[in-house]
Amino acid sequence: MTKTDDRSAFGHPAGASERRAPGAGQPSRVRPPGYAVLRFRKATFLLHRRSAAVTAALALTLAAASLAYLCVGETFVHPLEALKVVLGHPSPDELVVGTLREPRMTVGLLVGAAFGVAGALIQTVARNPLASPDIIGISQGASAVTVGAMTFGVTSYTLLPYLSVAGGILAALLVYVFAWRGGLHATRFVLIGIGFAIALRSVTTLFMTKGDYLVAQQAQIWMTGSLNGRGWPEADPLALTLLVLLPFVAWAARAQRTAAMDDDTATALGVRLGRVRFGLVLLGVVLASVATGAAGPVDFVALLAPQIARRLTRTAQIPLLSSALLGALIVVLADLLARKLFAPTELPVGVLTAAVGAPYLIWLIIRSRSVRNGGTA
Amino acid sequence: MRVSVRRAVAMTAAVVALLLAVLFSLAVGARAIAPAAVLDALLHGGHSDAAEVIRELRVPRTVVGVMVGAALAVAGTALQGITRNPIADPGILGISQGASVGVVLAIAYAGVHTLTGYVWYAFAGAAIASVAVYAIASSGRGGATPVKLALGGAAINALLVSVTTAVLTTRASALDEFRFWQVGSLSGRDADIAARIWPFLLVGLLLVLSVARGLDALALGEDVAKGLGQKVATVRLVGGLGATVLTAVGVAAAGPIAFIGLAVPHIARAIIGSDHRWVLPLAALLGPVMLLVSDTVGRVVFPPSEVPAGVMTALIGVPFLVTLVRRKAVAA
Repeated sequence: MTKTDDRSAFGHPAGASERRAPGAGQPSRVRPPGYAVLRFRKATFLLHRRSAAVTAALALTLAAASLAYLCVGETFVHPLEALKVVLGHPSPDELVVGTLREPRMTVGLLVGAAFGVAGALIQTVARNPLASPDIIGISQGASAVTVGAMTFGVTSYTLLPYLSVAGGILAALLVYVFAWRGGLHATRFVLIGIGFAIALRSVTTLFMTKGDYLVAQQAQIWMTGSLNGRGWPEADPLALTLLVLLPFVAWAARAQRTAAMDDDTATALGVRLGRVRFGLVLLGVVLASVATGAAGPVDFVALLAPQIARRLTRTAQIPLLSSALLGALIVVLADLLARKLFAPTELPVGVLTAAVGAPYLIWLIIRSRSVRNGGTA
Repeated sequence: MRVSVRRAVAMTAAVVALLLAVLFSLAVGARAIAPAAVLDALLHGGHSDAAEVIRELRVPRTVVGVMVGAALAVAGTALQGITRNPIADPGILGISQGASVGVVLAIAYAGVHTLTGYVWYAFAGAAIASVAVYAIASSGRGGATPVKLALGGAAINALLVSVTTAVLTTRASALDEFRFWQVGSLSGRDADIAARIWPFLLVGLLLVLSVARGLDALALGEDVAKGLGQKVATVRLVGGLGATVLTAVGVAAAGPIAFIGLAVPHIARAIIGSDHRWVLPLAALLGPVMLLVSDTVGRVVFPPSEVPAGVMTALIGVPFLVTLVRRKAVAA
């Protein structure tokens, strides 16, 4: 795969200068513009300067937002006290910060990061900036199964998350099977995904009109996505799953370059696109489903985070790490607002994710200096 | 077969299908009426129960169905052409959502509770949403490129969804009314609605048809379109205006019926090729067929209650779309 890199119009020519500058310590003369070269003993890394800066800035902003999340609420907690609790020192604010806010924030961070990466992967494979788990049927599959279960009398809150994970994965599987025809054609995949999404949403609305009013309201809140009442019982399995998936995400970050090629280029370069795309989509689907199971289909995080991230880093691919950080940032800020805005009434977080993310994307679009017309995703 | 013959056959078949769908919609329901009796009631009047049912209930409903189906299908075709994105449709680009916000606000704050009352609010909402989308996309360097239009639409859609849900989760009584409108249905639509929307339908159709050549040129890419002497910005503006008016017509009359604006353009293109002067009329014929058949099947499939047309359209349409998309390469 590395052989294709330096010729691919899509990839960062990452491996290129390693091979061209074999002697360690000898300064590279073919360093592409915008990259810094890092050396560690014999290993050489290329670092996209702007991506690194954006990632660092996002990480700092996220840390600040998280701290604000822990401090602000019905009672204000001093930032130092909040930090003490997080680091495990005894503090009088143990209950408010450690028991109430921290677990809920953890779920928010994990859900946001998972949606961000899932959206980035699916947009890459679909080569369409409008594709995301909530458009190609994953969220709708989860909703249909969950709302159906609610309507037919399943009230167990331990069972519902698993049902929605199963629903999401099942829907994605159906889309994949129907879209597969000797290969995964990007447009066919997205179109069939939307078709299924609309059909599943119809089924969900049908369930909602059949059930009684209270169930409809409960279902509406679930479908908006909410962190209300979420805590360690949701955070632990989520964190574990994400940890298991981490190596795959690292693989995805490399594989992304080839998946974003159009079919002809990839075939000409001898890349087995089918497998790579299947892997990326599968990873995206699992991430989105798990996140949906924990907090409901928090709309638009997966759509907005990757697009904002790509506009910030100005890279050809959607940067995964920045997408994850942005996803987490959007969810945490949205939930902070959701708790505070109409206090004591608490809004579901899904109401505000779009309100936090969309204006920023709009601003980026307005002042864009033409992100390469038609860009890959 | 020569192209022109093929096109003539396709158009004729579509007209026949539309007539059959209309007849089907008039004859089938909780009370089945023989086709001969339908014709009799239409042509000679009469005061039998069957004639009353047809004139008072089914004719208005069918007329609204035809209008909504044509409006949404043509709007979808225009939007897919303008954004050059095969998945663009009034729903994804935020225009339907604008109409929904209008209706939600009408229910929650303006105290409007009738279908005819919703119409103007839906219109206003759709118009504001699409003006916003166009304003966002056309600012900045490069003008309203397809990607910026699509993304701007998605962002506005996201914002509007959050407005809708914010109102619905804080005002519980609005949800109870809104959930029935949101499904998308033709049930209970009367002649009054048809009388209000037909001028808009006409204007929208004319606007979109007038840029048919321009849409063809746009499909080849912006530079080629300019080279062919098309005013790209004008085509987008006029086409987008037409699509907005049509979407508002459809959503105001029947609620957000998701599927038609997305699927019918693809079906029409698969049948008749990519020439918009043919695709647009064919879509205008096929949209109503799909909507009327779905509505009619929905009336009888689970008696005595009705399955709303919005739900049935998706359930009937998806297998169609899947087969079609699998059959051949999709033209964007």
